[in-house]
Amino acid sequence: MPEITDKAREEFFSEAQEIIETLSRNLLALDTAQKSGKEDPSLINEAFRAVHTLKGLAGLFGAVRLGAFSHRLEDLLDDLRLGRMDLRPEVLDVLFSTVDAYGRILTIEKEGRDEDLPSVDDLFRRLDKLGAAVERSASPVGGYELDPGMLAVLTEYEEHRLRSNIEQNLLLYRLRVQFDLSTIDKALDDMKERAKRHGEIITYLPTGEATGVDAIELDLLLASRDDLATLIGSLGADNIVIEEIPRRRRSVPPSVVPLRGSVAGAMSPKQEFDRLAEAAAGEVAPSLRSLTQTVRVDIRKLDHLMNIVGELSIVRSSLSRIAERLRGEGSRQLATELMRLHRNFDRRLGEMQDGILEVRMVPLGQVFDRLARVVRQISRDLGKEIRLVITGAETEIDKLIVEELSDPLMHMIRNAIDHGIESAERRAEVGKPLAGTIALNAFQKGNHVMIEVEDDGRGIDEEALIEKAVESGKIARHEASELVRDEILALIFVPGLSTREQVDDLSGRGVGMDIVKTNINKLGGVIDVHSETGIGTKMAITLPITLAIVSALLVRVHSQVFAIPLSTVSEALSFDPSQVRRVENREVITVRGSSLPICDLGRLLGLPEPIEDRRRRFVVVAALGSRRLGLVVDHLFGQEDIVIKPLGSSLSRVRGFAGATELGDQRVGLVLDSGAVIEEVLSGAEGPRERPSLLHG
Amino acid sequence: MADLTRAPAARLSRRGSESAPLREFLMFVVGGELFGIELTGIKEILSPPPITPVPRSSREVLGVCSVRGLLVTVLCLRRKLRLSETSNSRRSRILLTTSESGESVGLLVDEVRQVVRLQASEIEAAASTLGSDASEHVVGVARPPGSFVVLLDLRSILPS
Repeated sequence: MPEITDKAREEFFSEAQEIIETLSRNLLALDTAQKSGKEDPSLINEAFRAVHTLKGLAGLFGAVRLGAFSHRLEDLLDDLRLGRMDLRPEVLDVLFSTVDAYGRILTIEKEGRDEDLPSVDDLFRRLDKLGAAVERSASPVGGYELDPGMLAVLTEYEEHRLRSNIEQNLLLYRLRVQFDLSTIDKALDDMKERAKRHGEIITYLPTGEATGVDAIELDLLLASRDDLATLIGSLGADNIVIEEIPRRRRSVPPSVVPLRGSVAGAMSPKQEFDRLAEAAAGEVAPSLRSLTQTVRVDIRKLDHLMNIVGELSIVRSSLSRIAERLRGEGSRQLATELMRLHRNFDRRLGEMQDGILEVRMVPLGQVFDRLARVVRQISRDLGKEIRLVITGAETEIDKLIVEELSDPLMHMIRNAIDHGIESAERRAEVGKPLAGTIALNAFQKGNHVMIEVEDDGRGIDEEALIEKAVESGKIARHEASELVRDEILALIFVPGLSTREQVDDLSGRGVGMDIVKTNINKLGGVIDVHSETGIGTKMAITLPITLAIVSALLVRVHSQVFAIPLSTVSEALSFDPSQVRRVENREVITVRGSSLPICDLGRLLGLPEPIEDRRRRFVVVAALGSRRLGLVVDHLFGQEDIVIKPLGSSLSRVRGFAGATELGDQRVGLVLDSGAVIEEVLSGAEGPRERPSLLHG
Repeated sequence: MADLTRAPAARLSRRGSESAPLREFLMFVVGGELFGIELTGIKEILSPPPITPVPRSSREVLGVCSVRGLLVTVLCLRRKLRLSETSNSRRSRILLTTSESGESVGLLVDEVRQVVRLQASEIEAAASTLGSDASEHVVGVARPPGSFVVLLDLRSILPS
């Protein structure tokens, strides 16, 4: 495929990725529906359509393996869709493994490699085995006085739905409806919408009766639980005639009804699909529409737009400076006009900024879906039954953050299942429900998004943790006895500590939590642990909503201006040096009765000593999660919206800065990484070990 | 730049043959000495904008500045080459380059001179012309009429 451009290929892979994610979501929904004993044919249909589209795409881009795999999977889904096969748990298992298989296939197709994928081949064999087991049941359709003309044009799928409705002993109705040709699209949609409340529309066909020039008559076949009177009451109108289709008195040989596709393992359902797409326009149309109204945007383009907004805000501040100057020079009239213009500009710019930010936002559900699959997989592997409870999947967060979140969250969930949730026997002994529960909660809290991973397992074994830390030489024996609770729990983030005795595939390698913590910190977030022995463990992640633009407090330290993200600032106070006490080698002040550790920012950063004596200084209270630290600064300039640009790669190892931002008049200010500073000061990298009791007063 | 390091060193010839490819080097002064960097690596020559120091960075990092919205890490070439300190003057310039990792890096020099064109045969191996500190960045020396210029390997100067 030499004529396919890189860009098109890129698009193809990202679209394929999206389709696979949709498929995965469908499967999870199917799983849930299955467990609660509900049947939802639209889910299998959607999965079928997803795979069908993928097959088409693969053909277009010469992705042979992807095409072949999709083709086989499509057949299976078709069997399920048409009721030739039951959705048994083992079928669902195979379906779930296809998502991972797709991931592998996509990776090698993308890199243009040609290597063996034994796991995929194996899956192929499992698909074949399932396909071979397909059998069909006899049709009960013949038991109704159905118009053979109508039956003859039913698609295989419609036939299956008809059969399945009849098997559930529903009543069949014929709705003969006259539509005005000019409004038929909308009227038909309305009709279907209303009829849906009563049951399922199996098919609809033009009757072919002469009704007038501008009208068309359709027969809708409806399966419903409701009786005729209810339907007439609800749907009745001048243009509708509703009749019940009676059951036949005597049995008719099934051969009278031309059932197509009665051969097991039918051929490719392509034509059939096309028909379905046409016939079931009501189902297909919405998804087609959403496709055309969505554009895929490279996030770098949004970054670029955001940069322009940042530069415009510099123009904005210049405008207000000019207005001030005009006022000072006596041109009040002009100054007022310019100020008005400035305010207008300011407002529009704000709207634009919000608009761009909104585009970057994606629901956390994207990553939660992937996690749900992981939970299913791990719980199977470990033979532990897990109930995953997700709340707040609709909470939105910056796309870039979502991408970076999936690995840390995956680790945390693995840990929770592997280390947290006890074996079923153990749970029975202590009187807990046999199935362990993992809760994944997300919610917005001001400018932050909180994500909690909670399990109802055994809790963190503090003794074992301390023992491990001492054994591996991370802390000295005498230190161990002095640790307070939070400090002990914080040991799980120390590299190389794992409380599991044996090393295994999952999480027992002790490389998990420290990496989780580092990754979360990189995103400007913090992670807190709470644990109760025997009751469970809760890990709470606090993250900024976006990385692109932040409100910041501009401060001066010695002669340099710094920006402190406002989301991490809880308040700013006047600094009174006489209030400073030294507690355990740490400087603290008392704020409203609680002790607050403080840190001279100039000294921490090693800025050159100021020449002038500073009389009036300030304390900016930075807070992240449950940790607070007072940063002593020389001057507060106020709040401003800033676009953070990352420092160059050669400066990435410099601790304490989240990036830099333009301050106007060509100057650049460094943006403080409050999380890193709090971490550095309070975790004792700079001074002695913190005493959390002092921290929280 | 890579082929430059591998270029065979030869004695300076009077006027090299016209057919040999010419290399263009930008000459500039740092710490009172004349240096050259191949022109292809230099994107722009700037009057220094205000530079914001980055605390805790290494000594040769002067700080960061913004060039039309682009964040640039500014290195002091004088410190990088461990030459004697001189104060910045009106003539100081920043040579804007891009490192292999894509980072925009500015090199602060004391003064920019002209561009010289050199043939491979005009570039001599640098024996011990300089102290050992700078020699790791030196690819050779050249003697254009009336001067002596130390040619630097841009890639080895830039952070990897």
